[in-house]
Amino acid sequence: MRNTFFALLVAAGLIVAGRTVLAHHAFGAEFDPNAPIRLQGKVVRLEWVNPHTWIHIEVQKDGKPETWMVEGGTPNTLLRRGITKQTVAIGTEVVVDGYQTKDHSLKRANGRDITFTDGRKLFMGSSGTGAPRDGADPTEGGTKPPVKKPGGR
Amino acid sequence: MRKLIALAFAALAATTVVAQKPLSLRTPDGKPDLQGIWSNSTITPLERPQNVTSLVLSEAEAARMERATLERRERLNEPSDPDRPAPPKGGDGSTGAAGNVGGYNNFWLDPGDRVAVVDGQRRSSLIIDPPNGRIPALTDEARARQGARLKLMAGRGQYDHPEFRPLAERCLLSFGPTTPLVPNYFYNNNLQIVQTPDHVMILMEMVHDARIVRLNATTHLPRHMRPWMGDSIGRWEGDTLVVDTTNFPPQQNFRGSSENLHVVERFRRVDAKTINYRFTVDDPSTFTAPFSGEIPFRAMDELIYEYACHEGNYALSNVLSGARNEEKRLGTKQEKQ
Repeated sequence: MRNTFFALLVAAGLIVAGRTVLAHHAFGAEFDPNAPIRLQGKVVRLEWVNPHTWIHIEVQKDGKPETWMVEGGTPNTLLRRGITKQTVAIGTEVVVDGYQTKDHSLKRANGRDITFTDGRKLFMGSSGTGAPRDGADPTEGGTKPPVKKPGGR
Repeated sequence: MRKLIALAFAALAATTVVAQKPLSLRTPDGKPDLQGIWSNSTITPLERPQNVTSLVLSEAEAARMERATLERRERLNEPSDPDRPAPPKGGDGSTGAAGNVGGYNNFWLDPGDRVAVVDGQRRSSLIIDPPNGRIPALTDEARARQGARLKLMAGRGQYDHPEFRPLAERCLLSFGPTTPLVPNYFYNNNLQIVQTPDHVMILMEMVHDARIVRLNATTHLPRHMRPWMGDSIGRWEGDTLVVDTTNFPPQQNFRGSSENLHVVERFRRVDAKTINYRFTVDDPSTFTAPFSGEIPFRAMDELIYEYACHEGNYALSNVLSGARNEEKRLGTKQEKQ
């Protein structure tokens, strides 16, 4: 029984990771492993589209604003959990690590890990609902509430 | 007292009648009603790991698998270091589709969280035949074909034309198989079935592919006519819908299959919430033996969402412009011409 369990876990683990089977496209064909990046900036636009969501963020480079597009997954999965493109307010500050596209003239990258500035995953934290964190809820966690522009989008 | 007992019996009888009243699982023409929105997602792998001998898992084994899956997912969703640096130069070592650059966060994925249960059995693999739960070996012909494909691809340059790119990348077909209906273990493993006395339509959420099954047709299309998802004809065998699909185009393949692929699917509605789906794959020019599998389709109380793949397909242009960029950087033929 122990062997059965571990063997199946390995099989299921590989599958759940979603990293060893088919995908819409091969990430290695699109992004450059020799161009790693870390971006920190404010969300300025969300393209809630298939096959991949693209999150546009504005970062500061040498004192000047620069807009990057970051690739995520299908929005359908998040829609089923009640998450829409309004969930993350325009102006929310995020941290992204990933790799730039092989075409370096494009400011695009994969969102290998997209988080709030306190490290919580973008669509897993309560602040993503747009409700301000005021410390009343001890389960909120984190210390840096996301920046939110009035009205959002 | 006698009156009370009579009333009690009457109440019990009424309850029994309500409880036993069959749900309407048939269409007006008396066929089993397969209509609705279904999910075929599961954590049971298509093929059984080689050192697992039994198709059937114990309740405890299945529970442990499901619990471990959830725990792993929770770990992946935990916060990251907010001060983390950029990932390593040269790649992060990820393999497969993630291609050494790491893909994207786990929260985008929805591969299912349950072990497949068929006829009360918790399964260790979706494949049930051959008995080892694994896809039979490829034929020599199939291996030679794969080699030739790779050679052709390398010779003409796989990034030199949009049409050299895979069908999924071009948003033409799902990256999971359309026939048989095997889960892709990523997301959007949902489908909608609509039926009339003459046709059955199977709409897959992934890439919004709709397969139309002609009922009561006795012959397939002429050999040269090869729709993207093949030609499906169906019939009722008692309460089971049997769908027979051939005429696949050469670009569409299941695990290396050829255009001789022949798939037979059996849909049987077993209760209000479940369709038992059985498939048999036969392609003598690819597999050394036919193989069969079973998957439970679970009723969903949610909608199928649109998957307008062309709407945001930046990936294809990124891949092609990335290749041009590399050519410039390396000073290859295109630059010199």
